[in-house]
This record gives sequence, structure tokens and C-alpha cells, in this order.
Amino acid sequence: MTIAQKGRWLVITGLVLLGGVYVRALAFTPVERFQGPAQKIFYVHVPSAVTTELAVILLGLAGVFYLFLRDPRLDRFAESSAEVGTVFAGIVLTTGPIWGKPIWGTWWTWDARLTSTLFLFFLLMGYQVLRGAITDEGLRARYSAVLGICAVVLVGFIHLSVYLFPTLHPQPIVLKPSKPSLPPEMLLTLLLSFGVFLLLYTGFVMQRYAIATRRAEAFHG
Amino acid sequence: MDSGVPQNAGYLIAAYILVPTILIAYAASLYRRSRRP
Repeated sequence: MTIAQKGRWLVITGLVLLGGVYVRALAFTPVERFQGPAQKIFYVHVPSAVTTELAVILLGLAGVFYLFLRDPRLDRFAESSAEVGTVFAGIVLTTGPIWGKPIWGTWWTWDARLTSTLFLFFLLMGYQVLRGAITDEGLRARYSAVLGICAVVLVGFIHLSVYLFPTLHPQPIVLKPSKPSLPPEMLLTLLLSFGVFLLLYTGFVMQRYAIATRRAEAFHG
Repeated sequence: MDSGVPQNAGYLIAAYILVPTILIAYAASLYRRSRRP
């Protein structure tokens, strides 16, 4: 089985398990009293946000290692992680406003967390444009690595923005120094969803990596 | 009886349809690109 086929199976499994997460979230997880059913958007919004952060951190790490080792596999991995991260950032930026409208009364507000997340999405789009604009492989990989490292700095800022600035966005309730502040049923659903999104990320990156490898092989004949 | 819990399930349904739609669309895009000669 090729890496692309393995990735495809991981994605199919992830999508089926996402259905399982939906069943658990809708039927076996309590409705939050003040926010109502819309609170359950949290079970897809937060895991996709964490997966985006993970994708960008791995993109930056691959960039750092590429600058030292000059291994093209690291560049191909970075390219894959950036594209998949863009997709998950798209999910974050669409599910967030759908939650915000009934809870905040507005689809969008230009506060630090939301604006910096939108900026990350544009930065990831810019990363794809940069890669498409440079034909020289070595130059493309070097410039991309530097931009990937800049994106990691932005992820750190996004994560801390709710502490640094006044914001409508809720404070972290899981990824924080103290214990998660969620009832066990909600925490379990959230953790299962984290697992599914991680599986989907892995499957997508494997498929995208296979495409990047095939392109590189075609380029070199 | 009004339990006081907001009735906003429509937003939840919209989000729960949107997420797999994006994921399946991206999976299809990867599949199509992998088949391209």
C-alpha cells in the first residue's frame, strides 16, 4: 500500500469517526444551560483550531530543520502541513462565527484573537502563493521555511492573545496550565474529537506529501 | 414549559454540516490531484 493509499484510508476512517463524535456530542453530551445547543459547535471548532496550531508548529519545525539539513523531504512535509493547516484554519474561521452569532449576537468582531487567526489564514494562503511564484527549488524551500517559522510566532501570539488583550473570545479551558475546566462528559467528547481531527490531519498530510513527492520526481525526470 | 435554555440548534446543524463538507471537498481535491498524470 502506498503512502497516498494509507492516507486515504486514514481520512475515510476519520470521517466515519467524525460521525461517531457527532452522535456522542448530540445524544450523549449534555446541553450547556446558558448557550444552548450551539455550544456543541465547540466540539468541532476547538479541535480544528488546535489542529491548525499543530500544523503550523510542525510547518515551522520542518522549516528550522530544513535550513540546517537541506533535506527536500522536510520541505515537502512543510508544504503539505501548510496546505492542510489552511483547510483546518478555514474550518475554524467558519465555525467560529456560526457559534458567535447566537452567543455574542454578532458573526464577527475585530478583537485580537479573531483578527490574528484571520491573519494566520492569510499568511498560510500567502505561503501557497509564495511557493507557486518561485520556480527554483532551493530558493523556494528557503523562503518558505522562513515564512513557516514566522507563522509559528503568530501561533504563539494567537494562543496568548486572550490573556494579553481584552476580548470577547473565551479563555482556554483545556490547553492551559491548570486542569481543564469542563465536566467529564464534555471533556471526553472533546478529546475524542481531538483524536479524530488528528487522524484527519495525518491522513491529509500523507496524501499531500505523496503528491509533492510525485511532482518533484516528475520535475527531475 | 420554558426551561430557559436558548433554542439555537439551527446554528449547530449548520456547523455540523459545514465541517464534513469542507473535509470531503478537500479529500476529493487531493484524490483528483493524485490521479492527475
